[in-house]
Amino acid sequence: MKIVMKFGGSSLADGSRILRCGSIIERYKQNHSLIVVVSAMDDVTDKLLVLTELAKNGNREAIREHLEVLRAIHIEATNIIKSDNLRAAAQEEVSKLLTELEKVMTASTLLKEVTPRTRDLILSYGERLSSILLEHTLKDLRVDCLRLQGGEAGILTDEAFGEATPLFEASKSRIRSKLNPLLEQNIIPVVTGFIGETQNREITTLGRGGSDLTATLIAAAVKADEVWLWTDVDGIMTADPKLIPNAKTVPQISYAEAREMTALGAKAIHPRAIEPIAEEGIPVRVKNTFAEENAGTLITSTTQLKEGEVVKALALVKDVGLITVSGAGMVGKLGTAAKIFDILSKSGVNILMISQSISESNISVVVNRSKLHKAVTALELALLGKGVVSEVHAEDDVSVVAAIGAGMQGTPGVAARIFGAVAKRGVNIRMIAQGSSELSISFVVKEKDALTALKAIHDDLNLGG
Amino acid sequence: MRILLIGFGVVGQSFAKLILERRNELVKVHGLNPRIVGVVDKGGAAVANPELDLAEVLEVKKREGTVAASKHGKKDASALDLISNLDLDVVVETTPTNIKTAQPGLSHIEYALKLKRNVITTNKGPLALALPELIELSRYNNVALLFSGTVGGGTPILDFGKRCLASDKLVMVEGILNGTTNYILSSMEAEGKSFEEALKEAQRLGYAEADPTLDVEGWDTACKTVIIANWLMGRGVTLKDLSVEGITHVTKSDIEEAKKKGKSIKLVGRVAERIDVKPRLINRNDPICISGTLNAVRFVSQYAGDEIIIGKGAGGMETASAILRDLLEVKYRMAQRWYE
Repeated sequence: MKIVMKFGGSSLADGSRILRCGSIIERYKQNHSLIVVVSAMDDVTDKLLVLTELAKNGNREAIREHLEVLRAIHIEATNIIKSDNLRAAAQEEVSKLLTELEKVMTASTLLKEVTPRTRDLILSYGERLSSILLEHTLKDLRVDCLRLQGGEAGILTDEAFGEATPLFEASKSRIRSKLNPLLEQNIIPVVTGFIGETQNREITTLGRGGSDLTATLIAAAVKADEVWLWTDVDGIMTADPKLIPNAKTVPQISYAEAREMTALGAKAIHPRAIEPIAEEGIPVRVKNTFAEENAGTLITSTTQLKEGEVVKALALVKDVGLITVSGAGMVGKLGTAAKIFDILSKSGVNILMISQSISESNISVVVNRSKLHKAVTALELALLGKGVVSEVHAEDDVSVVAAIGAGMQGTPGVAARIFGAVAKRGVNIRMIAQGSSELSISFVVKEKDALTALKAIHDDLNLGG
Repeated sequence: MRILLIGFGVVGQSFAKLILERRNELVKVHGLNPRIVGVVDKGGAAVANPELDLAEVLEVKKREGTVAASKHGKKDASALDLISNLDLDVVVETTPTNIKTAQPGLSHIEYALKLKRNVITTNKGPLALALPELIELSRYNNVALLFSGTVGGGTPILDFGKRCLASDKLVMVEGILNGTTNYILSSMEAEGKSFEEALKEAQRLGYAEADPTLDVEGWDTACKTVIIANWLMGRGVTLKDLSVEGITHVTKSDIEEAKKKGKSIKLVGRVAERIDVKPRLINRNDPICISGTLNAVRFVSQYAGDEIIIGKGAGGMETASAILRDLLEVKYRMAQRWYE
């Protein structure tokens, strides 16, 4: 098989973990043709983000300390490399890059300004550094490989620095012409995830889900058989195991289910990363670096349903607020909903959930909690005192619980089972939304009841192990 | 609309009571839903989302002396912290007037303007010492700076001059702008009391403060005169540009003398070519010659001639109603973008 393997930051958190990744690659390369994509080491991207903030404040001392920490983390990781020559080479490469980064930081600190373009350049050092470590570790294991920056591997993007979008066809053809010859020579390409470049060869970053997108884009280009995302959990779980201890791995989900899950904040694959492989239907496997024997989760273009399995996973969305706009005058009044959505969009507030009763006397929306007050002020200013809307009510102590699974489609009684489970625990449901695609049901409860509701459904629908 | 209330004395508490009393009507008639999300006093603050329970905050203030004792109390929160950390539309500044440094009100107002919060104030200190620059900062930051409660309490003296006479040209504004001194002068005249006797009487009735300096030395009138000069007549002046004389030296015989000529002595703030505050002789049949704690202002404009407004010049509820008037103005400005 031809497999694109992406290793996440937690899988590359230190030298011994990088060695573990190297061993995995060494083993699978015996029977498979591999392309490797790497994230930055755990937390490194966050540290680089902090650096950009420090530069804006001109805080030299703190920047120096942060750079020192970055140097220590990466140099320490090279100690896993046994060959003296390779270790020295890795250290030299790491030092070279960090010296370069230091210069970028000095310039930004003097200017006290970090443009989106400079920010992308600074962020790119995370993946560029981690790829050096994995490359030399692989060579230490006598695995033939070649390190490539995203742009070198062929990833061409637009100029939307911070969340660049690949130019798909151009990227695919460049990737093919760069990587196929390597694969033919049995050389494993080690590509930095998250990074691309513009037509003018400026470094861009791909934003949220960036490394996954690098992997799937490459897979689509070289017509890989599968994409494997190596992480620190056993694939996609029925619920966040930190909240629900008996949550278990979901063996299989569809692209559509994965999209729904990520949108609801569950750890799955980012919808942007599904785009390149959707047409070819290339399956994605999410696997645990630290428990290789577990099958993980397979994400495919179609839904496979087990008998009686309606809900596959649950998600909990915290930090939301509920707004209810009500008034007897809203009944039969054309354009009220349009007006509400218009006001919210003009105020820069994204709507997460919507519901309206058939009586039309109230409309509820769920928004991000950080935008709740702004939204309420705008709605009140625009709607009150005109005889239509009499109240705009805000609640900042609510959460959204969502149940996801394609099995709900056309299966009667799912809602009854879900809400029955919640009601049995005495939890009051404030608002419900289900799209007609029936991929998920979301409902709003008070924040203090959210965990109870989540557990209730997980238990009563037998999702746990 | 989300409001931070800084200062919770008579005016601040009256404003809270007014909102409690009138909320339904404000929502229905004016489309204004005032949500007080934070209150700051000397002992700390109370903060809650989506808004504070005002009845509870008022009750706690009365019982414990500070809002920090509220169930939403925050002992260590400062006004400046809250101005920047809370999601706010309006900052209402009602701390006491300080005519030496204007603090802490001045830093509250400057900080709020910088962070693009609309400001409503009843504090005369910052306006008397820095009004030209505060007006410039509010315009530059594109937010409102409103202070109709600083002159005339609930009586809309500033709005009348600014709006109703906008098409004309004001040539002179003069008036009796301080209720305390007017009470003292009135009782000296009517009952033949000396200044000291009349002051004691005013203090006993609660019309004068224990330390009456601001009033009797003419500074309160001067602050109001500065505001009128800047806001209504575009004169970029501050307190130090005025000549100010109080009423402490006015004697019984001065008043008798005036009476004989059919005149009364009144403490008058006047913005004409010169800007000054001093006791003046006023004809007893002049409509601005009012007695007791009332205020009276004469607007002389080039085409419309003389107009006079008389009303109560101070008081908690009166000043709170002026804050509400300003709040409605902020509401209309903010809502403008939603009117097609």
